[in-house]
Amino acid sequence: MSERGEPVFAAASLVKTFGALRAVDGLSMAIAPGEIYGLVGPSGSGKTTLIRMLCGLTTPTGGEARLLGHAMPRERRAVEDRFGYMPQERAVYRDLSVRENLLFFGQIYGMDRRRISARTGELLAMMSLADHVTQRADRLSGGEKQRLSLACTLIHEADALLLDEPTIGLDPALRAEFWDHFRGLCDRGRTILVSTHYLHEADRCLRVGLMQRGRLAAEGTPRELRDVAADRVGRSVPDMEDVFLVLTGSRGGER
Amino acid sequence: MKLHRIAAVAERVLRQLWHDRRVLAFMLLLPALAMILFGYSFSGDIKGVRVAFVDEDRTDLTASILESLEKDDALAIRIMAPGQDPESLLLDGGYQAVIRIPPKFTSLYYAHFAMGVATSAQGRIDLALDESDPQIAAAVQKSLADALMDLGEGGPVDVQVRDLYGVEVRFIDSFAPAIMGMVVAMISTVLTLLSIVREKVDGTFARVWVSPVRRAEFILGYVLAFGLVALVQSVVVLTIGTFVFHIVVNGSILWAFLCVILFAVGSVGLGTLLSALAQTESQAIVFFPLVMLPSVLLSGMMWPVQAIPAILRPLSYLVPLTYSNRVLRAVMVKGLAPWQEPLGFGGILAFVVLTVVAASLVLRQRGRSAE
Repeated sequence: MSERGEPVFAAASLVKTFGALRAVDGLSMAIAPGEIYGLVGPSGSGKTTLIRMLCGLTTPTGGEARLLGHAMPRERRAVEDRFGYMPQERAVYRDLSVRENLLFFGQIYGMDRRRISARTGELLAMMSLADHVTQRADRLSGGEKQRLSLACTLIHEADALLLDEPTIGLDPALRAEFWDHFRGLCDRGRTILVSTHYLHEADRCLRVGLMQRGRLAAEGTPRELRDVAADRVGRSVPDMEDVFLVLTGSRGGER
Repeated sequence: MKLHRIAAVAERVLRQLWHDRRVLAFMLLLPALAMILFGYSFSGDIKGVRVAFVDEDRTDLTASILESLEKDDALAIRIMAPGQDPESLLLDGGYQAVIRIPPKFTSLYYAHFAMGVATSAQGRIDLALDESDPQIAAAVQKSLADALMDLGEGGPVDVQVRDLYGVEVRFIDSFAPAIMGMVVAMISTVLTLLSIVREKVDGTFARVWVSPVRRAEFILGYVLAFGLVALVQSVVVLTIGTFVFHIVVNGSILWAFLCVILFAVGSVGLGTLLSALAQTESQAIVFFPLVMLPSVLLSGMMWPVQAIPAILRPLSYLVPLTYSNRVLRAVMVKGLAPWQEPLGFGGILAFVVLTVVAASLVLRQRGRSAE
């Protein structure tokens, strides 16, 4: 856990350019311990690049990305075992079994086999994968693979979690189940930064950043965002998709 | 650097190989298949050339010539009745050569000895050859010359081909070390390349990259796994070489294994390096012929580097397998220690250092900038 008062994830005037494209364009944000923060916006709005800079995978072109108080990627060694990252791809070894995937990700975080085994039991029960423990990852359904991917992220019980589009491609019931997991993790003291292009999922977050063209178009609790949108249009805006359209002035976003 | 993380990566790679039964079978069958196919195709020993033997003289001397010829594996001698025409035997009888000893051969032969070098009287043997295959013709000529030398009045002349190291080195003996190197290079380079590209495509590389695993630990994990695979493959090649082709290993097997493992380490480095140039698995496949063709053609595996045209010869020294062939042949055929073949051993060590260092630099770059 970061020191008292210090944000778990922070960005200050963060910039990342790829040639002429400004994927992240002078973005600043701070996420406090215990928060579940939703990075919401359409595909291509810079969510993935922001998350990759926060976990040290991508070097910023300008500004600063900090994770648990450490500048990334420069000081990533100081925090490498204290956060978990779930990439957008399912990111599991397709030719390993469910158990072997969890074993490997546990081992590289220095966990011994007994602890990995105990933790595997917990996670498989939590993710309803207990019946698939010896099954190879490439024989799992899409949803099961996604649950395995989340389990691999959670294996070493990190304080801070960066989840890049964890619910992409899941059916609504499974998406709801995932959000219940996130809520539960948050209740147990984890801090979660989760990105999604499903605008309705913003309502499941404590706080939301609406991303558009590499910037935060608006930020606040879902209720605050609705209030701002209502003020702008002079009527209540119950639908999060409409909130996004009002606050960004765009027609982007997917249901 | 933590041993447990290296072991974790190695264990994972080995488990992946274990689960992929087709790749596993390929890894074990490839050395066996390569050894058997190349061994039979290139073993270089001509055996069982069909030869008709027509003896018109029938003396003790001609009987001993026949005996010598019959002992020679290269020839399958069939004794024909006197009076047969050599040419028709060759054309219609299906023989590849006909040896005919004319009447009075023995008396002329001894007359030569009796009268000394001043005489032109000399025993003559007719040899009819199918010249369409020069290698077979040469083999028959050599066998006949050997048989005649064996007679040598005034002491037999020994023409047995002697190798510098005291044994007759057959092609297959020096071919087995090359196959070991080739198989190890192919499997280690290609599977490392494919495996890392697949990690990038699937996103597991990003996961590993944000974990405590260091670049060096990642590469060493692969090295450990494929070093083990290389060892198993070398055992397969040597087992088949020994039991099927009776290859002669004059040197230390342990040194040979050490060199093969070192070569595998360099090949893992090369595979890692190439993975930086491929973003998808299909791009990675493009590299296979690029690695394999020069290895097979330019490394001195099939023919000596000296037989390669001068303009291409410098390229031979850019092919890692050239050095592996030199050092493995020095160790296995000549019975030397690796460092007694400094160019080969030095080349392999340089290959290991260069590729592993370059690979870890490249991994850093890719890890940081990959989007």
